[in-house]
Amino acid sequence: MVSTPRTAKAAHDEGQLLQQAFEYVTSRSGDFALGTRPTTAIILGSGLGGLADQIAEPIALSYEDIPGFGVSSAGGHRGDLILGYLGHSQVIAMAGRFHRYEGWSNNQIAFPVKLMARLGAGKLIVSNAAGGVNPKLRVGDIVVIRDHLNFMGTCSFLGFGNFLGLGDSTQSQQVPNSNLSADQPTLGPNPGPASQAGDVQKCPSLQRAAGIYDPQMSCEAVRIGTRGGFNVYPGTYLATLGPNYETRSEYRMMRRIGADVAGMSTVPEVLAGSAAGMRILGLSMVSNVANPDQPIKADHAEVLEAGAGAAVKLESIVRGVLDLGVPDLSVQDLGMRAT
Amino acid sequence: MLDLYEKIQEACAKIRHEFSDTPRVGIILGTGLGDIVEELEVEATLDYKDIPHFLTSTATSHRGRLVCGRLAGVPVVAMEGRFHLYEGYSLKDITLPVRVFKELGAELMIVSNACGGLNPYFNAGDLMVIEDQINLLGDNPLIGINDDRLGPRFPDMCEPYDQAWIDRTVKIARERDINIHKGVFVAVAGPNLETRAEYRYLRMIGADVVGMSTVPEAIVAVHCGLKTVGLSVVTDMCLPDALKPSNVQEIIAVANEATPKLIAVVDGIIREFNHTRMA
Repeated sequence: MVSTPRTAKAAHDEGQLLQQAFEYVTSRSGDFALGTRPTTAIILGSGLGGLADQIAEPIALSYEDIPGFGVSSAGGHRGDLILGYLGHSQVIAMAGRFHRYEGWSNNQIAFPVKLMARLGAGKLIVSNAAGGVNPKLRVGDIVVIRDHLNFMGTCSFLGFGNFLGLGDSTQSQQVPNSNLSADQPTLGPNPGPASQAGDVQKCPSLQRAAGIYDPQMSCEAVRIGTRGGFNVYPGTYLATLGPNYETRSEYRMMRRIGADVAGMSTVPEVLAGSAAGMRILGLSMVSNVANPDQPIKADHAEVLEAGAGAAVKLESIVRGVLDLGVPDLSVQDLGMRAT
Repeated sequence: MLDLYEKIQEACAKIRHEFSDTPRVGIILGTGLGDIVEELEVEATLDYKDIPHFLTSTATSHRGRLVCGRLAGVPVVAMEGRFHLYEGYSLKDITLPVRVFKELGAELMIVSNACGGLNPYFNAGDLMVIEDQINLLGDNPLIGINDDRLGPRFPDMCEPYDQAWIDRTVKIARERDINIHKGVFVAVAGPNLETRAEYRYLRMIGADVVGMSTVPEAIVAVHCGLKTVGLSVVTDMCLPDALKPSNVQEIIAVANEATPKLIAVVDGIIREFNHTRMA
């Protein structure tokens, strides 16, 4: 298997693409105050796109038009980057995301997150639909991700050689790279902290996953559930490559190794966000429950339907956490985390 | 995945040209288990290199040809020699034959492998019918844009191996006085064998046997809607606290010794299949 290590040139190319994307978005952001007000990036997962329609004064930019972006192919996902407001908070939302099972590399998945950090987002809220592995979970429950297990088969955060092959032609970004076996972990570029305080250049690969998910935002999410009378559990998210659902034996394995929910996304984005110094809140909506001793067929329509029911809960969490107005991480915070 | 459809058609066209019957069962033969082909009334033999888009097998004791013929009167196609991730091939190419079986009209796939035994109640030379699987390959044959003509985007895996056929296989083995286990197969990429710590880990997560194949084929069989029977031959025991250096010649010798049992079971499955269909 021929694989190409990620080189300084690849990092440079990605940096250039990031610059082009940054210029494209800023040229179309109108009155949206990029870089001057605290901004939260939100990634809307399976069936949760409804929140996108509630963003006030939206400026929607199609992924097709943004340099470096691909086009999402999964059912139930659209493909827009939306600038606007939720309550009093300024947000950049991704309606539609990229998955490893579509053939995107981790670098391609991380790219939009790097862009949002570059655009000034200091916090990242990421949501997904996931299978409940912990037997206490029911369809429609919310899990606040406090930690994750990366079963994507390759070290998720470090850059990947795939990106190299795509060069800096924006056209070639439209097609996922199908040869994931060529993934070669080497260090990717650090887009720097969200606040553009370029003096913080922590080596992101040394980040411990346990420190990635923000305690303050996570606690607030649980509190909102308690107040709102619905179940929000802190838990561990296990990321698989997909696209097939798990076998019963795989679910049993996941229980034994400590996973509470399992899904096919989130980890690459979260690792990129963490590397960029963002505070991160991860939310899983339990769309189906694994019952390894009583097999029930999972289907994508069921996932979408459960998403509609849980959207209200997720929405109230996102709004509540935004209203809390947690400050972005400071240079000192980042220094303390990078051990 | 979008180029697969044409590849399947081209491979099938070549095979149909040599073998006009509609095969009802597709068989994939694992390490050291190629002898089943001796039982076939062979009608056509195609080298993999002559079939468009087929890979060439590089693994020890895998020959690399597709044998078409009849077993117990039932038209079958058998892969003598299979492909593995550790050979450096992509899982999409490795699993192409499964899609070809389906396209040729097969209703059942029998996939066999040689594997290491993790369950301490197993012995070298035992047979196991695969009840379920764990994918630790770190890769998946369905990655890429899904071609809806071939199967669903998110296949359900609650029954990768057909339960009715698992029960029938156990019955068939017992009728022939063959001891057969049921268990969980875990696939790793290989090619190195596992460390003792890895064997403990694999046992802890619920695996009974470990191998380097079969899981991709089973995933693709689910994707394209082909029923699967998985048969493992335990060729060496991997007990982490009593581990001996393994020897591929020994593994192949045990596989060869177990082959008559495997042949008897496969033969029984095909007879039962024929009978079930007739009834």
